[in-house]
Amino acid sequence: MEHYLLIARSVTHAQRMEKTLRDAGVRGTILRAPTQINPKGCSYAVRIDASRIEAVRDILSDTKVPPIHVYVKSSDGYREVAL
Amino acid sequence: MIYFDAGATTLEKPAAVRAAMTEAVATMSSPGRGGYPATRKAEETAFACRNEATELFGVDSPEKVVFTSNATHALNIAIHSLVKPGSRVAISGYEHNSVLRPLHAVDNVELTVVDTPLFEPRMALEEFRQVLQRGADVVVCTHVSNVFGYILPVQEIAEECRRSGVPLILDASQSAGVLPVRMDALQPAFIAMPGHKGLYGPQGTGLLLCGDRPVKPLLSGGTGSVSRLRRMPEDLPDRLEAGTHNMPGIAGLLEGLRFIRRTGLERVARQEREVVAAAARYLREIPQVRLYADTEFANQTGVLSFTVQGMDCETVGALLADRGIAVRAGLHCAPLAHKTAKTLETGTIRISTSVFNNAEQAEVFARELGRIIRENARF
Repeated sequence: MEHYLLIARSVTHAQRMEKTLRDAGVRGTILRAPTQINPKGCSYAVRIDASRIEAVRDILSDTKVPPIHVYVKSSDGYREVAL
Repeated sequence: MIYFDAGATTLEKPAAVRAAMTEAVATMSSPGRGGYPATRKAEETAFACRNEATELFGVDSPEKVVFTSNATHALNIAIHSLVKPGSRVAISGYEHNSVLRPLHAVDNVELTVVDTPLFEPRMALEEFRQVLQRGADVVVCTHVSNVFGYILPVQEIAEECRRSGVPLILDASQSAGVLPVRMDALQPAFIAMPGHKGLYGPQGTGLLLCGDRPVKPLLSGGTGSVSRLRRMPEDLPDRLEAGTHNMPGIAGLLEGLRFIRRTGLERVARQEREVVAAAARYLREIPQVRLYADTEFANQTGVLSFTVQGMDCETVGALLADRGIAVRAGLHCAPLAHKTAKTLETGTIRISTSVFNNAEQAEVFARELGRIIRENARF
């Protein structure tokens, strides 16, 4: 199933993103980001269903907690995209 | 036991603190190190603790709430981030060794001590103003003297620092959980505080609240983030939190912070002042006692120092301990404060209170002290 990963600077940053989205009515799941999309090593991400990405864009563009990278996961693998 | 040493550590804690610590030991692993339930629970607890601190202390982001092992650790980070060899640093005359020793560890620091008298905040402010006009690179100031409970005028000192563009490090060791301490109001570079005193968390916890100045880690190591980098991450809080977190401590601190927010700072401060005011009333009736107290406790928290004519402070402290009353005697790791107050040669006996103390305990304490003094006079 297609989904998005909002990559965070730290687990605390991931938690802030997840809380910001939750407060605005969008559910996300905090998880460890796959190593292959992390050139700097371990990190955390917030996983979002593809159907909610427009809402995520609206919510996070107005906050101080934007992700440092955004990846979309499809049957072809991970691809970085702009939020 | 009557415990009057909350200025060192609050011994009586809310029951929720103990329960949270016990649960943490059994259920939490390392935050930021995995994706399984035990790490998630640890992460959620750490985040909740940062958020509680964010609310209580007016921090603009939970990422700027850094866990430390105590206030000394937090002060060391703050001082080593801002003070360079040759820096001109202004401090109050009531600083603890947790400020003096880290400053001493930096080469050639030019130290100016604002050693104005006890309970004279206007004089302290004016002296800080003059020092800032002469030029300073950093100001470090305690909010409340750990020896005398003297409340320094930190709001006004912070305003002077902002006006002069000089970063302020605030030591809130004796004020956090008792008085309003807010990053948004004071806008200092850092605020350092213990978790185990007025916040009712366990020993081994502390917080460093960070502004926007660059920070220098004291420790390097694993953070669970950007692990291919050889240097520490740039972002807070990871930059200052190398190694595994003290999760039982953080879980306990979270409950301590919740307790303070439920209870309210005003109630805590009022309760503590009532106890020391009662103690002062009784002690004033003992002619051998010399009190160090402000008029009506206007500039004083629930900390009270005194000496006893003809007896050394440590003996008085030991005799009180024999009667089940815990106080602290000596220099309280703050020789500078004693020098400023002219008690360096003798030290003082200090009672320091928490919200769990009451005026009846003050009466018992004063009665026992009176007996000790009378018994001593016979020999």
